[in-house]
Amino acid sequence: MFKRKWLTAPYLAFILCGTVIPLIAILYYGFTDQEGSFTLENITAIADEEHAKALGLALLLALICTVVCLILAYPVGLILRKHASGKKGFVVFILILPMWMNFLLRTYAWKALLAGNGVLNNTLGGLGIGKLNIINTPAAIVLGMVYDFLPFMILPIYNVMVKIDNNLIEAAYDLGASKGKVLTKVLLPLSMPGIISGITMVFVPAVTTFVISQILGGGKIYLIGNIIEQEFTLNGNRQLGSGLSLVMMVFILISMALLNKFDKNGEGSII
Amino acid sequence: MKNFWKRFYLVIVLLFLYLPIITLIVLSFNNTKTMGVWKGFTLKWYQEMLSSPQILNAFCNTLFIALIAAVVSTIVGTIACVGIMALSRRQRNTILQLTNIPLLNADIVTAVSLMLAFGLFGISLSLGTVIFAHITFCLPYVILNVLPKLRQSGTSTYEAALDLGASPVYAFMHVVLPDIMPGVFSGFLLAFTMSLDDFIITYFTRGAGINTISTLVYSQVKVGIRPTIFALSTVIFVIVLVVLLLSNFLPDKIAQKREEDAKKGIELTPEQRRKKKTLQRIGYGLMAAVIAVVSIFGGRYVGAMTGNGEVIYFYNYGDYIDPDLVTAFEMQTGIKVVMDTFDTNESMYPIVESGQVSYDVIVAGDYTVEKMIANKLLQPINYENIPNAANLEPSYMEILARTDPGNTYMIPYTWGTVGILYNKTMIPEGRITSWKDLWDPELAEYGILMQDSLRDTFMVAEMILGFDMNTSDPEELQQVVDLLIEQQPLVQAYENDAARDDLITEDAGIGMIYSGEYLYCLDENENLDYVIPEEGTNVWFDCFVIPANAKNVEGAEKFINFMLDAEAGLATFEYLTYPSPNSATMELIDEEIREDENVFPSQETLDKCDMYHYLGKEADQVLASYWKRFRGN
Repeated sequence: MFKRKWLTAPYLAFILCGTVIPLIAILYYGFTDQEGSFTLENITAIADEEHAKALGLALLLALICTVVCLILAYPVGLILRKHASGKKGFVVFILILPMWMNFLLRTYAWKALLAGNGVLNNTLGGLGIGKLNIINTPAAIVLGMVYDFLPFMILPIYNVMVKIDNNLIEAAYDLGASKGKVLTKVLLPLSMPGIISGITMVFVPAVTTFVISQILGGGKIYLIGNIIEQEFTLNGNRQLGSGLSLVMMVFILISMALLNKFDKNGEGSII
Repeated sequence: MKNFWKRFYLVIVLLFLYLPIITLIVLSFNNTKTMGVWKGFTLKWYQEMLSSPQILNAFCNTLFIALIAAVVSTIVGTIACVGIMALSRRQRNTILQLTNIPLLNADIVTAVSLMLAFGLFGISLSLGTVIFAHITFCLPYVILNVLPKLRQSGTSTYEAALDLGASPVYAFMHVVLPDIMPGVFSGFLLAFTMSLDDFIITYFTRGAGINTISTLVYSQVKVGIRPTIFALSTVIFVIVLVVLLLSNFLPDKIAQKREEDAKKGIELTPEQRRKKKTLQRIGYGLMAAVIAVVSIFGGRYVGAMTGNGEVIYFYNYGDYIDPDLVTAFEMQTGIKVVMDTFDTNESMYPIVESGQVSYDVIVAGDYTVEKMIANKLLQPINYENIPNAANLEPSYMEILARTDPGNTYMIPYTWGTVGILYNKTMIPEGRITSWKDLWDPELAEYGILMQDSLRDTFMVAEMILGFDMNTSDPEELQQVVDLLIEQQPLVQAYENDAARDDLITEDAGIGMIYSGEYLYCLDENENLDYVIPEEGTNVWFDCFVIPANAKNVEGAEKFINFMLDAEAGLATFEYLTYPSPNSATMELIDEEIREDENVFPSQETLDKCDMYHYLGKEADQVLASYWKRFRGN
C-alpha cells in the first residue's frame, strides 16, 4: 500500500550498526589471537575439558528446563483457552507483571527461599515434611531457570490457543473423537507454532545464562555462560570469550534449525 | 470438581510466579540486612532509599534508559514497518530474518558483540552506548507487534482517505495509526519492560558511574544485597501494578460497555460521544503528564551528571564506604561523587585496563595495585595535597613499602587478615586452630563455606601444603588444585561476602572470611568466633589509588584527604568494621575493641603472615588456568 521503501532506512541503520557490525566484531575476535593474527585456537578451545563440560551441562539443564516449562505451561494454555479467552489483556498482564520486579532480585529471592534455614524449609519443617536441600545444586539452577522463563512459554502457547476455532473442536467431538484424541489430533497440532516459539524463547536464554547459575549454584557450578562472562570480565581474554561465544551460537543455531522443521509457517509469537 | 482442580492448578502456577516477589516485599520491611531471618518490622530501608543518591541515581538511569529506548524504538520501528510493507517479498523476508537475530541471539552474545564493536571503533562506553544497545534489542519487539496489525488493517481505508484528498502523512496519522495503535502500544510496553528488566546488555556496555537497578543489584549479589533495593523494587512494583491495573481494566470496562450497547443497538448519543472523547483526552493528558514529569526529572539528573558541577568518579567494592561520608564530602566540597562498584579485584582490573571507562579514585587490593603499577595504569600520589596522610600508622606504611617502594602510588584505606569464622554452638570453642579444619568431614554437616576468590582460596591450600602464597610453580599449583578438589564435596558454597549472611543465619557453621566481617557478624550473632589459623594467613591492604587516566586529580586528592581524617576513619571503621590503618582513628576507638586480637592481631601473629604479590602476566595466566581447572571440575 505504501510506496515508501526508504522509511526502512533508519531501522536498517540500526540493524547494521547494532547487529551486523557487532557480529562481525565478535567473528573477528573469535578468529584472531592476542597479537591479531588468524587462529582457530579460540574455537577449538571448546574441546578443553572444563569448557566442554560447561557447555554440556548448560545444554542439559536448559533442556530439562524447557521440558519442565512445556509440561507446566501447556495445561495453563488449555485452561486459559477455555476460561479466559476474552481476557487476553489480563492474562498477558499477570504474566508480564513479575518482570517489573528486577530479574536479578527475583532470582536472588529464590536463594532466600531455598536456603537451608530459609522460608521454604522452615515451612516444610513446620508441616513435618522434612527439608528440601537443593540450594547450590543443579536442581536449584533448573528451578531458577523455570521460574524466570516460564512466562515466555505460557504466552506464545496461550496466544495460539485462543486463536483456535471452537468449531473445529466441536466438529471433532461430533465426529466421535475422544477427549484424548481431540487433544493429540486437533489441539496439539494447531498449537505447534506456539510451542515451537515458546521452546525457542525458553531454551536460548537458559543455555546462555550465567546469572542464575551464579546466584543459585553457590559458585560451584559453571555453565558455558559463566565461562564466557569470566573470560571477558575476569581474565580479560576477549579472543577466547568471543571464540566460545561463537561455538555456543552454533549449538543454538543447530537446535533452532531442528526445531524450525516443525514450524514452517512461523505463526508463533509471544505477542 | 474438575473446575476446582483447574483453578487449583492455575493458583499454584501463579503462586510459583509471585512467591519471590512476595518474599522481596516482605524482606523490604525486615529490620536486618541479613536475609532469611525476620527481625521485626521497619521502614528504615525506605528512608535509606530516599536518602541514597546511588539508589535514586540507578532508579533514574533505569527509567531514563528504558523510556528513551522504548520511545525511539517505537518510532523507528513503526516507521520501518510502513516501509517494510512496500518491500518485495524477498526483501521483506531478508529484513525479517535480520530482525530475528537479536531475538534469537543469546543476550550475552549481543552484549559482548556490541561491547567489542564499540571498542573497535574507539567509542568509549557511556550512557549513550547503553541506550544505543537497548534500542537495538528493543526494535524487534516493536516490529513484531506493529507489522501484523499493519497487515491486518489492510490498505482500503488508507486509499480511501487518499482518494478523498488527504495527504499521505495526514492519512497515516488519522487513518492508519489509530488502527494499528494497539500494536504500537503493546510494542512500546514490551520494549519498555524488556529494557527495564535487562541486566546483561547494560552490564557489558555501560560506562563509568552508569548504574541501573540491575547492575547495582549485581554488584551487591556477592556482598549481600542491601534491603534498600528491595524497598525500591517494592515501590516500583506497586506503582506499576496500580498503573497497569487502571490502564488494563478501565478501557476493558469501557469497551465492554460499548459492545453491550452495540448489541442492544444503541447508538452513542452526542453527549456520550463527548464523554468518550473527554475520557480519551484525559487518558492522553495523563500519559503526556507522566512523560513530561519523567523527562524533566531525567533532564535534571542528566544535567547533574554531565553539567557544570565538579564530579569525581569513584570505583569501589560494593557497600565498602559509609554513604554518610560521601554525603558529608559532597556538602563540604561541593564535588559530586559518582560511585561505581565491583565485587572482586579480578573483575575490576580488566575494566580499568581496557581504558574504555575512566575513574578518578579507585579502591583496590594491594596485589592488584602492584599489577596496576607494573602496567603503568596509575599516577604517583602528591602527598602535599593530602596532609591527612600524616595520620597513617608508619609501621603499616613500612609493610606496604615492600609492595610499593616509597609509598608512591597507594594510600591504605583498610586492612585485615583472612581467617576462619565458626559457630561456637555447633563446634566447641577452641576446636578450630588450623586451615585443615575446613577439610574435616565431621564439620561438613554444619556447612563449610569457602571464598570465591582466586588468590584467597588458593592461599588456604598453599598454607596447608606449606607453600609460599605467591607461588606460580605449576607442580605446586597442581597439588593445590587437587587439594581443593578433594575438599569440594564437603563445601556448601563458594561465595564472597555473602558468606557472612550464611554464618549469621546459621545456614553454615564454619567458613573462611575476612577479619573485618567478624565484628559485624558478632553483632548479629554472638555465637560466632574468629580464628587466625596457626599456619599463617594473608595480610591485605585495600588502598586508594589514582589511575593514570583520571580526569579530576585534584578532586580525587581532596577525597582521599577527606577519608584520612580521624573522624572519617572512625565512621569508616564503624560502618565497615574493618581495621583502620589510621593511628589518629585508633585513638578514638574503644579500648576493648582495640585490644581484641582477632581484629588487631599481635605482632607475633602478623610475623607468620605474608602479603600477596603481583607475579607478572605469565604467572597470572598460569594461576587463571589452574583456577579454571579447579572451578570447572
